[in-house]
Amino acid sequence: MAELKYIEGYPENMRQEIEKVAKTREKRISYTPPAMTMKERDEVLKIHPDYAPGGKREIRVGPNKGNLAPNEVVDLLEAYPLIEHGDVNLSKIDYDADILIIGGGLAGTTASLWANDCGVPAERILLTNKLRHGDANSIMAEGGTQAADRGVDSVVKHYIDTIGGGHFANKPDVARTLVEDAPLIMKWLCELGAIFDREENGDLAEKLAGGLSVKRMHSCRDYTGLEEFRVLRDEFRTRQIHCLEHYPAIELLTEGSRVTGAVLWNLETGDYKIVRAKAIIIATGGYGRLHIRGFPTTNHYGATFDGVVLAYRAGAKLRDIDAVQYHPTGAAYPIQIVGYLLTEKLRGSGAQPVNADGEAFVYPLEPRDVEAASIIRECYVRNKGIITPTGLRGVWLDTPLIEIKNGKGYIEKAFPGMIRMYKRYDIDIRKDPVLVFPTLHYQNGGIETDRDGRTNVEGLWVAGEVSGGVHGKNRLMGNSTLDCLVFGRKAGMSTADYVKSQKGERKIALDHLKNYVQKLQQAGVKETRRAPIILPDYRGKAALARMIDVF
Amino acid sequence: MTTTKTETPKLTGTENIKIPYYPGCTLKTTAKNFENSAVAAARALGIELLEIPRWNCCGTVFSLTDDDLIHHVASVRNFIRVQEMNDYGLVKNENRLVTLCAMCFNTLKSTNLRVKNNAEDLKKINDLMYREENYGGKVEVLHFLELLKSLGFEKIRDRVKKPLKGLKIAPYYGCMILRPQEIGIDDPEDPTIQRDLLLSLGADSVDTPYKRVCCGSYQTVKEKNIVAELAYDILSHARKEGAEAMATVCPLCAFNLDHRQKEVKASHSDFEEIPVFYVTQLMAIAFALENECYGFDQNYVDPRPLLASKSLIK
Amino acid sequence: MQENRSPIMDRIAEANKAATTGIDAKDIKDWITIYIMGKAYTVPADLTILTAMEYAGYKFVRGVGCRQGFCGACATVFRKKGDYKLQTGMACQTRAEDGMYLVQIPFSPAEKAEYDITKEPYEASVFIKYYPEVTRCVSCNTCTKACPQDLEVMDYIQAAIRGAFDSLSEVSFDCIQCGLCAIRCPAEIVQYNVAQLGRRMYGRYGQGVPEHLRKRVKEIAEGKFKQDMEKIIKCSTEELRKIYTEREKEPE
Repeated sequence: MAELKYIEGYPENMRQEIEKVAKTREKRISYTPPAMTMKERDEVLKIHPDYAPGGKREIRVGPNKGNLAPNEVVDLLEAYPLIEHGDVNLSKIDYDADILIIGGGLAGTTASLWANDCGVPAERILLTNKLRHGDANSIMAEGGTQAADRGVDSVVKHYIDTIGGGHFANKPDVARTLVEDAPLIMKWLCELGAIFDREENGDLAEKLAGGLSVKRMHSCRDYTGLEEFRVLRDEFRTRQIHCLEHYPAIELLTEGSRVTGAVLWNLETGDYKIVRAKAIIIATGGYGRLHIRGFPTTNHYGATFDGVVLAYRAGAKLRDIDAVQYHPTGAAYPIQIVGYLLTEKLRGSGAQPVNADGEAFVYPLEPRDVEAASIIRECYVRNKGIITPTGLRGVWLDTPLIEIKNGKGYIEKAFPGMIRMYKRYDIDIRKDPVLVFPTLHYQNGGIETDRDGRTNVEGLWVAGEVSGGVHGKNRLMGNSTLDCLVFGRKAGMSTADYVKSQKGERKIALDHLKNYVQKLQQAGVKETRRAPIILPDYRGKAALARMIDVF
Repeated sequence: MTTTKTETPKLTGTENIKIPYYPGCTLKTTAKNFENSAVAAARALGIELLEIPRWNCCGTVFSLTDDDLIHHVASVRNFIRVQEMNDYGLVKNENRLVTLCAMCFNTLKSTNLRVKNNAEDLKKINDLMYREENYGGKVEVLHFLELLKSLGFEKIRDRVKKPLKGLKIAPYYGCMILRPQEIGIDDPEDPTIQRDLLLSLGADSVDTPYKRVCCGSYQTVKEKNIVAELAYDILSHARKEGAEAMATVCPLCAFNLDHRQKEVKASHSDFEEIPVFYVTQLMAIAFALENECYGFDQNYVDPRPLLASKSLIK
Repeated sequence: MQENRSPIMDRIAEANKAATTGIDAKDIKDWITIYIMGKAYTVPADLTILTAMEYAGYKFVRGVGCRQGFCGACATVFRKKGDYKLQTGMACQTRAEDGMYLVQIPFSPAEKAEYDITKEPYEASVFIKYYPEVTRCVSCNTCTKACPQDLEVMDYIQAAIRGAFDSLSEVSFDCIQCGLCAIRCPAEIVQYNVAQLGRRMYGRYGQGVPEHLRKRVKEIAEGKFKQDMEKIIKCSTEELRKIYTEREKEPE
């Protein structure tokens, strides 16, 4: 084997490309391309993966029969369950809870705390996690949380920005709740001891972001979700709320048309647990790991759409499930970090997307779909992208501009996570730009809810990314952590209220599953696909080809 | 997040001599009155006690086990910080490290002596801390009282604006600045350094044989009564000799003599409370410094009635 | 079928397949050997420890979480041939290198104290009360050396001992709670839990709720925006589109 040399930083040909960016930097300090008109937006969106042909098909079964959804989503909605009636023994109940929360990210954890605040005892709440408590997209949220709490801002402005960004498809009353409860949520976090970036005078430091008309983005360096979540988890653990880890839910249990429990499966040993509950909150997050249209993703390992699959079988209606969010700036180089998130806060702080000719070609803070489509156009239509050694294309995100605009030392203070990530590959984002390309980021739609996180199925609530309605067709930056917090709280409060009124015996069964399987068969769906998939599979093809299933 | 402020009060004068200063944990918590008064008094004398960056706990009680080198790492790391202050130009050719806390002083100086006299130990510690620069053995650990003495008590007398006239103070030394002899800053049998300082402030110094008796030290954590008995002896003897208050430079002695008076009172009905000062608090009063640096709220027995009776405070 | 395909999307998917499906050996030029728990595997050279292990055939249910350096699930220790140093890293953030001997530590047993921060004094005593072992720190700095985030862990433990909540928060802020410091500490301190307590105290008492936020929460409760809000949610999409397009933007 010849001696191996690791490429330190950028290879020579990319270095030459970077020179072009450096040359035009001076000119670009005072030049920002204008924002697009609505017409220009519509034009560029034609190339967005959501609108480019070939990505979607009709759902053939269930409450959303006839609606379009991404192929990868339909594949899972039209898949057979992992268990059938009779596979599990439902006569022995392992946990009998008031509230079962499936998914312990920001939304689920917030729900548990508020349910507890509203009088449900800690031992009557059960939070179950597929991986560890907190292995979720929430903790990867870098940029921030929106809340209209400055004098010049108002909840109405926040509302308009939110629905404009969502292509006016948002559910009005749900979006209203999101913006109206935002300041209250910020106050709650401050009181629990979350540390937010501050101005010198102690006011919350706030920034612009894509689609915002007013500086409204609160952040904790570039570890916003992590800071918010670890504070809540600390509070959760202190209160000793019941928690299971590595126990994904693989099916809901029902009694007639209402949900009454779930089957949990031990990822490590394979045994199952039966939970009965008066109310269930699904907070399982999104679907980045489905790699829709073959895009890499910013999402965590467990983002596999399980919650929607389970709820859909139990009769829950979906909404805006066709709208996929691609974050405009995922890493495109080096290969080890392809698809990783480069927070929008970078652009909010002055970094510009720049093409191979060193030109700033797009207003840096367009709504995400418009920004993403513009970058794809630059790379694949105008051919002004930069090609990496492994054949990926991307444009530059000119990060050194940030310090020119905000002063030396700013990046280290505001983006320690970014610096750290690139430093491992000998790239200094203070001196050199980084290569970016859109990456699969967010499930805009999901299980439809009302303003309390309630679904059309009795006993079932949802909160966070798994839900649909609040963001319409496109979520704004800083509205996802906010969504988790606002509707986690609402779901916690609403279920607490509900369980107090619930008396009498609840049965648990898998009857709904039988019905669903029947419908699949009637629609002619072949029994090759099974769901939920729980985790993606990245094993090497060579290893898989020689695997023998012995145990 | 806002950036961290330095933990010492802001510098004012620019011509002051800057000397690296090691505070220790107690001075940042239960003995803030010691630090605040000392830093202010030093400044009044033209000395800037510059808190060493990234200092760590001294290691508290130095280890009595011969081969337990790990316990000396903490102190040596602080000496490296002093070297770094010189490297980075925070101070110029200044190898002195001043401490206030008697316990820290004793611990730091013991370690320093050991590694200065034992090249092999020093090498082992340096090797263990490979991420740090090597400690070269040049730092000199000084107690604040020694610094004052080297400055000359005359100079202190010159700075006094409000002599502590008629205030009868019994200096109390305890163990940590006297023993063992190679660490001590004064005659372990008959120390006088605090007396000289008190006289230069215009106070009357009351001598008592109990000035160098142990206060009970860490027994205070588990055996409050042992400490209360020792405190009773020390304090009532001072009273008998005519003292109206005590002076000390050790936060642990101060705690045992001052705060344990609660237990002393409970077991001795004849006992009369007596205020316990850090000697630096008395300096601050005599120098007529800002009230904020006195920190009497942290004293258990409130010394303000006594001071007011002598017209030293309003 | 022409109109139901997008050549651009196909090209993007093809370019990204290494990151979205298992790696195919035929695409790989350079190879290295790593030792997973002592067993040798030949894997592609341009991978992280995590993806190298997956290439080798591991499907993770433990020791993996966000895959991007935030969650702390994939703590890994390793040595390289010929080097006495025990090194640490997050499997998802550390390059697999030739001759690496590695094992994951996906869980670290640790005490987490139970406290109500609303009832604790904003003083150093809170650490002594809940994590008295912090005073056992001998400043050996092993924790700092173990930190995959390159934090000065020992410095923040020292800050805790003296109640410097602001320093502690500043220094510990980027902690991902992977547990490697606690596993290595000879004084058996659980550094990351100490820091969590300290940061919450600083957030609540050192920073607190700013006045402008308090004011806005009150305004909302009193219905200041109610009228405008009710008007706007009744607007038609056309009206909203107009309002949205014409809205003023705050300068950067």
